[in-house]
Amino acid sequence: MKKHPMLKYLKEQGPQGDRLPLIMCPGCGSGQVLNFIFMAIDHLINEQGYQKDNFVFISGVGCHARLTSHYLNFDSGWTIHGRTLPIATGALLANPELHPVVITGDGDTGAIGGNHFIHACRRNLDLTIVCLNNKLYGMTGGQSSPTTLNGETTSTNPYGNFEADFDLCELAKTAGATYVARWTTAHPTKSVKAILKGLENRGTSFIEILSQCPTHFKQSPSQMIREYKEKTVRLEKMQEDDAGKIPIGEFQDMRKPDWSSSYRKIVQSVQNKTIQD
Amino acid sequence: MDFMHKENLIQAGVHYLQGSQACAEGALTAGCSVYAGYPITPATEVMEHAAWRFPQVGARLIQMEDEIASASVLLGASLAGAKAVTATSSPGFSLMQEVISYAIMAEIPFVIVDVQRPGPGQGYITASQEDVMQARWGHHGEGSAIALAPSSVQEMFDFTIEAFNLAETWRTPVLLMTEETVAHMRERFTVPPRESLRILERKKPQDLGIAPQDYLPWGHDTVSPLAAWGEGYAFNCVGLVHLEDGNVTKYGTEMHHHCIKRIKDKIDGHVEDIARLETFFLDDCEHLVICYGSVFRTAIEAVREAREAAGLKIGLVRMVTLWPFAEKKLRQCIGKTGTVFVPEMNMGMMLHPITEALRDCCDRIIPIPELGKLHTPELILSTLYKELQ
Repeated sequence: MKKHPMLKYLKEQGPQGDRLPLIMCPGCGSGQVLNFIFMAIDHLINEQGYQKDNFVFISGVGCHARLTSHYLNFDSGWTIHGRTLPIATGALLANPELHPVVITGDGDTGAIGGNHFIHACRRNLDLTIVCLNNKLYGMTGGQSSPTTLNGETTSTNPYGNFEADFDLCELAKTAGATYVARWTTAHPTKSVKAILKGLENRGTSFIEILSQCPTHFKQSPSQMIREYKEKTVRLEKMQEDDAGKIPIGEFQDMRKPDWSSSYRKIVQSVQNKTIQD
Repeated sequence: MDFMHKENLIQAGVHYLQGSQACAEGALTAGCSVYAGYPITPATEVMEHAAWRFPQVGARLIQMEDEIASASVLLGASLAGAKAVTATSSPGFSLMQEVISYAIMAEIPFVIVDVQRPGPGQGYITASQEDVMQARWGHHGEGSAIALAPSSVQEMFDFTIEAFNLAETWRTPVLLMTEETVAHMRERFTVPPRESLRILERKKPQDLGIAPQDYLPWGHDTVSPLAAWGEGYAFNCVGLVHLEDGNVTKYGTEMHHHCIKRIKDKIDGHVEDIARLETFFLDDCEHLVICYGSVFRTAIEAVREAREAAGLKIGLVRMVTLWPFAEKKLRQCIGKTGTVFVPEMNMGMMLHPITEALRDCCDRIIPIPELGKLHTPELILSTLYKELQ
């Protein structure tokens, strides 16, 4: 049987046996997003000479976090809920050659890790954040998240969500991220290109991908993906009557010095100064 | 760690610095290349000194948005192969417990300096030893961290290096449990010549000839070598209950038990190797004072005075390592004794493991609590005289 070309980036076996399959529900968008990330990285390795060993995947807790579990054939950390960005920050401080790929979710980034998210963007650290936004907490059984739409019913909003939802891309842009884009699992090519641009950007890149959770929304995956086409509108084509639609596209694409380059300048400026007790 | 500007490390010889500053210098001398912190009284001076000094040697320092983030940076930095440190005070230490718990499970070394302040809540900003139980029991789940208690500016330097050595040797977070007393104290201390310093580095799988496909992040030995991110080992770090190779899907209660027991035994099974005590006047002693941290400074004065002025046969044990608790060593060194006094800058915390350890080899155990400031020798002496004369 012909193997999937991206399977080389997964470990089918470890020293103590099988590591596959992934644990995602049938129809979940997470596997699609992992594939997008692999395709972007594959391009960088094969076409641009990036070193595979320098990529490190870091995730927190949630369905998305399972993507960096024991089956990744990359360095990875399946770490603490919400703390992915400080952990990636530490990795970059220790080794600025690394390319941290932070896989996160709407709860991980928008709620428990919200403060870290703002400050990572502000610092413009050279890392790429891929946020799988399924608009609820999937791992714990379908509770409201900061991106759950107003009026949506979840297990913690049985009478309907009456709070406003967060626009994570606008937040990232305002906080200072230098590349920000939103796509959906219905836009695979655009998603891959955005992740690629994010990885190439020497600074903080935030790519939000709307990713379906058919299990908790109790809908068919194909219907949800179809809706991603119908309910989204390209940012540059937004009209006044598109108010209820989700803007997709690039929210930010600019260059400014990343944290490590700025820090290196500081180190250079203080070098050769003698110690004074 | 090879710094770009190693020549800017603190020079061997006599120095006069604050305890906090000696701590930051000790970290650099140990080869620590990453500092992450958040300001908090009375620990801020460690970071202020580090902020001045880390760039001078080419090490990295970052001010994070809170203490959770600071501790998380240590985790990421260590996974990428660096020695990393933060300093905080008690409320910040509470916030770091989540990361400490993960690091114990995943066996990731780093050093946290806790310049303790009184609590609970905002409490106060003066001296305290009220986190000594938090150091052992603050994190969720099993497994113990290692905790040291320095008592002088010299030890703020020496024990910081020792903390890194223990962290790398045992692949676990190490806590330097200090107090405002010593952190803000200025004192003479000596930096030994570089060649006489004992600085240990972590074992890596490539150093032991272990190929990536055979690498067991949690299983080659009591302390498994730790691969660094970026070195070709495709190391999947997990904080879930795992097999030795990091496999998390073959869950079973037996596997669970084995995983946790291994982590627990790594420290608890090697207390004799890790824990240190210092003893004074034990040869003829009929009674004993047990102390740690900066309280040692006044306790030794009080004990000397009680022996010389009043002829009391009293000895002193100073715990260098708080955790793991040196129960066996403590029992061995005291044999049979009358009254045990435990002066602490809290209402009686280490009193509990001490009581458990000495339950059948002393007549009574008397706490000497002090809150918000260091004991005076008079406070300790008056208790000794009241109880023994």
